[in-house]
Amino acid sequence: MNIRDIISKARSENRTALDEFAGKQLLASFGISVPKSAVIKGADEAAAAFAKLTPPLVLKIMSPDILHKSDAGGVKVNLKSAVETADAIRRMMNSPALRAARIDGFLLEEMAPGGQEVVVGAVRDPQFGPLVMVGLGGIFVEVLADVAFRICPITRLDAREMLADLKGAAVLKGARGRKPASQDAIVDVLLKIGGEEGLLLCHADDFREADINPLIVSESGAVAVDARFVLS
Amino acid sequence: MSAQEIIDRYAPLFMPKTVAVVGASTKGAALPNIFIRRIREFGFEGAIYPIHPVAAEIDGLPAYRTLADTPQPVDYAYIAVSAAQIPAMLAAAAGRVRFAQVISSGFGEVEAGKELQQQLAAAARAGGMRLLGPNCLGLYTPRGKVTFTEIAPREVGTVGIVSQSGGLGTDIVRRGMSRGLKFSGLVTVGNCADLGTNDMLEFYLADPQTRVIGLYIESAQDGRRLFEILRAAHARKPVVMLKGGRTRQGLAAAVSHTGSLAGDDRAWVALSRQTGCVLVDTLDEFVDALLAFQALAPRTQRPTQRVVLFGNGGGASVLATDYFARLGLDVTPFSQTIVDALAALGLPPGTSITNPVDCPVGTLQQEDGRVAEKILDVVYASAEPEALVMHLNLAAFVGRAKPEVLDNLMQAALRVQAHYPGKAHFVLVLRADDEPELLARRREFRARAVALGIPVYDELSNAGQALAALQAHERFVQSRSGA
Repeated sequence: MNIRDIISKARSENRTALDEFAGKQLLASFGISVPKSAVIKGADEAAAAFAKLTPPLVLKIMSPDILHKSDAGGVKVNLKSAVETADAIRRMMNSPALRAARIDGFLLEEMAPGGQEVVVGAVRDPQFGPLVMVGLGGIFVEVLADVAFRICPITRLDAREMLADLKGAAVLKGARGRKPASQDAIVDVLLKIGGEEGLLLCHADDFREADINPLIVSESGAVAVDARFVLS
Repeated sequence: MSAQEIIDRYAPLFMPKTVAVVGASTKGAALPNIFIRRIREFGFEGAIYPIHPVAAEIDGLPAYRTLADTPQPVDYAYIAVSAAQIPAMLAAAAGRVRFAQVISSGFGEVEAGKELQQQLAAAARAGGMRLLGPNCLGLYTPRGKVTFTEIAPREVGTVGIVSQSGGLGTDIVRRGMSRGLKFSGLVTVGNCADLGTNDMLEFYLADPQTRVIGLYIESAQDGRRLFEILRAAHARKPVVMLKGGRTRQGLAAAVSHTGSLAGDDRAWVALSRQTGCVLVDTLDEFVDALLAFQALAPRTQRPTQRVVLFGNGGGASVLATDYFARLGLDVTPFSQTIVDALAALGLPPGTSITNPVDCPVGTLQQEDGRVAEKILDVVYASAEPEALVMHLNLAAFVGRAKPEVLDNLMQAALRVQAHYPGKAHFVLVLRADDEPELLARRREFRARAVALGIPVYDELSNAGQALAALQAHERFVQSRSGA
C-alpha cells in the first residue's frame, strides 16, 4: 500500500493518528531507517513471523485506544524465541489493562542496537506552517524541555545549528565515557523530515503533529524506533 | 515583483504629492486638524485636501465633499472619522486614491468590528486603493515631509520601521530621536486589514534609502510569508524584531510532547535563527540595537567577539565584563606584551592597564586627553579588539575636570579610529544619574557624538546588548556566506 492510501485508509477509519507500522512505512519511504518488522494478528502467527526476523525482538501492541504502549504494558522487549513471543502475545491479550482496547494486531520488530536516544518531532504552527523539532531523549525533553525548533524547510546548516542549540549537545559527543552519537545521522533525519523535499512539506496538510521518539543514534547511524503521526 | 517595481509602487506613500485629510473639523481641534498642522510645520510642500461634507474651508484650506472631488488624485489619505462611515467613503473614491490610512478604531480589534473590517478591506479594493490600518496612528516619512508625530527628525535617515502599535511607533520616533536615530520611514499598520508588516518590510528591503529595518510585531498576519521574505533577503540588511505577545498557544490541543513544547515563542526564535533577524525583548533593546546598526557597518568577515572596555569606574568595568561574557562577548585580559607596552607609557598610579582598562579621571585628563589617545593607540595596534567601548562616568568629571576634557577624549578616540579605519566598532557609554547638570552635559555630549557617527548608550549593559545584536547579525551572515 502506498503512503497516500495508508493516510486515506486511516482517515476513512476515523483514526486520529497513523498506527506505528504505518508511521514507520511513511518514514521508510523518506529514507529513514526503521527496524525490520512484521505485523501479526495473534499468537498463532508468532512462529512464522519470528523465523523471518533476527532476534532479539520487541513486541508492541497496535491499538488506536492506547497512547502510551509501555505504560499500559503493551511492549515486551528482548524476546529470544518464537515460544516466548507467542506467550507474550497471549499475556497481553489477557491483561486487564489491554483487554478492553480495540487491538489491530501486534508489531514484531528487530531491536535496534544501543545508542543515544533522540526525539525528532514536528508540529504545525498556525502562523508559520510545519515546524521541526529535535531534542535528546528522556529527561532532556520531558523535564528540561531542552529542544530546538525550526520552521520548514530547513537547510543542512539549520539542522546542525539545531543540535548546537541544545544545552545537552555535549551528550552527543559522548559525555561521561559513553560512545558518541553520529550528528550527521541526526542531521540527515532532520532533513528528511523538515528539509526542502522532506516529509513535512510533502505532507503539509496531512499531519498536525509527529514524533519520532526515540530515534536511536549510534556512532554510525540512526534508527526510528517509535513513530507517531497525528492526522490533521 | 522586482525591487524597482516595489519602490515605484510605494513612492506615492513615502513621497506623496497630494494628501487628503478626512475628519478635520471647522473648529480645528480634531486629530485630523492636528495632522494638517503637523505636516505643514514639518514642511510638506504638496497639496492638502481636507474632506468635509459641508464646510467650504478647513484650517484655511479649500475643503472637498468626497475623496473623488479633489482637484488632483490623492497619493495619501489620512482618515479619522467614526468607523461605520468609512467603508462607503472608500468605495466611492473612484480609483482616485493611491493609499488610504485609516486611523479610526472599532474594527477587527473588537469582536463587534470584525465584520466592519472585512467591509473596509472590500471597500478599499472597490475604491481602487491600498489600505493601511485601521486602528493605527499614521505615517512618518521624512523624505515626503509627512509625520503624524508631534516631534520627529527632519533629516532623512536609514532606519525603516514598521510598528503594529501606533503608540509604540510614537515612542520609537521620540526615543529614537533623542538617541540620534534617523529614519527612512515609520509606518504604523494597526490591524493590517490590507497592507501589513510584510508589505512594508518588502518595501524597506527594496528601498535604497533604508539600510536597517526595525519591526514591532504583535501578531504575524502571515507568518509564512514573513519567513519567506526574510529568508530570501539573506540578512542583506539587518532586521531587528521586537515581538509582543510571545506566549504559548494551543497547549490544550497538544496531544504529544512536541505539541506541548511548541509555544509561539519557539517559532519566533526559530525565525530569528533561520533568517538572521535579531529578536529583542524591550523597547530599549530595540532602539539600542537599531542605533548600533545605524552607526556601525557590520563586519561579517570578523564578527564582534573581543571587546576592550576603557573608561573610569572599576566596579562598573568588572560588572560589565561579567555581563558581556554572559552575552557571548569576551573582555579578556591583555597579553603581557600589551601590558608592557601600556606600562611604558608611564601612567599614574591607580590606572589599571589590563582589559578592562580602568582610568581615573586624573589619568584621562592628562595632556588634554592625549594620554587616552596613546592608550587607545596601543590597544588598537596590538590587542586588535573587534569593539572598543569607552565609558565615562559623568559624575566624576563634572565640577572636577576641565569642561573640555570630555570633548578631548572623544576627539582622541576619533583620531585613533581614523588611524585604524574599520578596525574596531567604537561605542560610547555616558553614565549619569538624574542630576540636572549631568543630564544636560550628557544630552549635549551625546548630540556631538551622534553627529560624529558614534552610537551612545546610557549604561554599559545597553552597549553590551547592542554589540550582541551586532554580533548575532555578523555571525549569521558569516555562517551563510559560503552557502
